[in-house]
Amino acid sequence: MATDISRRNFLRGGLAAAAGVAASGLVLPQAVQAAGADSLCTVLDLSKCIGCEACVDGCREQWQSTVPDPVSPIPQPLPSRVPVQDWSRRKDVQDRLTPYNFLYVEHLNLAHRGREVELHVPRRCMHCVNPPCTNLCPFGAGRVEKNGVVHIDPEVCLGGAKCKQVCPWQIPQRQSGVGVYLNLMPTLAGNGVMFKCHRCLPLVAKGQQPRCVEVCPQQVQSIGPRASMLAKAQELARAKAKADGASPESWRDYVYGLNENGGTNTIYVSPMPFKEVSAAIAQDRRQAQPGRGQRAASRQGGRGLRAGQAGRPFMGPVKDTMASAENLTKALVLAPLAGLAAGFTRLFGSKKPPQSEPKEAPHA
Amino acid sequence: MPSRNNFNAGRVSRWLYGLAVGVALFSGFGQMPLYKRYYLADIPGLGWSANFLLLSDLHYLAAALLLGLLAWRLSLQARQAVPAWSWGPRTWWGWGLIGLLVVSGAAKALRNYGVFLPPPLLMILDFVHLGSAMALAFTGLALLLRPLLPKLKALRQPTA
Repeated sequence: MATDISRRNFLRGGLAAAAGVAASGLVLPQAVQAAGADSLCTVLDLSKCIGCEACVDGCREQWQSTVPDPVSPIPQPLPSRVPVQDWSRRKDVQDRLTPYNFLYVEHLNLAHRGREVELHVPRRCMHCVNPPCTNLCPFGAGRVEKNGVVHIDPEVCLGGAKCKQVCPWQIPQRQSGVGVYLNLMPTLAGNGVMFKCHRCLPLVAKGQQPRCVEVCPQQVQSIGPRASMLAKAQELARAKAKADGASPESWRDYVYGLNENGGTNTIYVSPMPFKEVSAAIAQDRRQAQPGRGQRAASRQGGRGLRAGQAGRPFMGPVKDTMASAENLTKALVLAPLAGLAAGFTRLFGSKKPPQSEPKEAPHA
Repeated sequence: MPSRNNFNAGRVSRWLYGLAVGVALFSGFGQMPLYKRYYLADIPGLGWSANFLLLSDLHYLAAALLLGLLAWRLSLQARQAVPAWSWGPRTWWGWGLIGLLVVSGAAKALRNYGVFLPPPLLMILDFVHLGSAMALAFTGLALLLRPLLPKLKALRQPTA
């Protein structure tokens, strides 16, 4: 009878209760902490950048050789519409993100307050505080370290490119013909490995600076604990706004990455409002006419890629991709409470009769 | 005998459980980049199945419904109500899998909420969640197909 507190019932209830409590977020393991608390953040002062691309060269020298060459021939995935993306013969491309190029510099000419201004914007992964690319990776290949570095484990990644699709800037780039999928079912599942900036994780772990920060002759980037970097970005942006003839209170117009996608650990500070920078990038994309070289790169990089656009992220406002999941987490907390309330207030299900309990039919 | 109300409540709870598990399985498997690759999203009316963020929201809603049902069942059991709510697995194997799914899913929801979890732990949780879901799905499929076994055996027997 159910009135006996048997070991079976005790364990059953305990398991369900533990699961419910864990799901409600009332008890957290000691290991967990609020993400972002110990993060390292970078601030880029764009008015210092001269577009020399020393950061790009430094990054390529350090990391390009760590990206493997694909097997030959690269297996054609099934169905045939799944593109093979091979950048191994175009390792020289450095004006966009590729699997062999984690960083490029966007060179812009824009009109600001009646004069032509050159602006150079180093672009790489933004290292979001709560990144959708890693949160939504179904195999745990996407990772966020305690220091805020967002990276992809090439030993685990199957190259499904989901991370790229959910990234607002479409940062990760796929190289087909490499990775663990070759040992599984290379034609039916997976398509390579996704690569992107890992902000020099092995160097940072040894206490060194990322290469792009270290080699920059202009000290465009600075890196440090998130709280101090946010203060620095705000102070810098206030100064930029004032120098631009705007109110220092409008400093948020001069930063990018602070609130984008819920907040990132890459914060750009520009001498002009980012609305104008974003418009200049959009204008540049509209004017980009694929030349022969770009078309060739596009063909080799994968079918359907729009030359001059893919791998070159925009700089417009970005809503928090994870906001919906964060809101729905509240539903996960409230639902068990509602269930318990419904049960204990006898909203459904009456008291069991004392003797005759109907026997349930055996499970089919 | 259970009252008519209990009978209806049981039927509704079974349907809700089926709905929660069905939506969770569909949206969960859709977290792997399969539906677009294998043309499911090309079927008219199913284009949304290629949207990972929409599928993620659906997965959360299905999980909330399942958690609500679990808590409801727990409370009914605590006060020894009529087992009109006889939904869900009938074996420790089934309840164990659902327990693993709930615990690993809750931890993943915490991560998505912005709580730091060590990456190796997160990968283990990912595979526990995926493995438990696949085991539950295949167990359910096997149970559905079990009644067909005698018929298959009869087909193989030579007729006199």
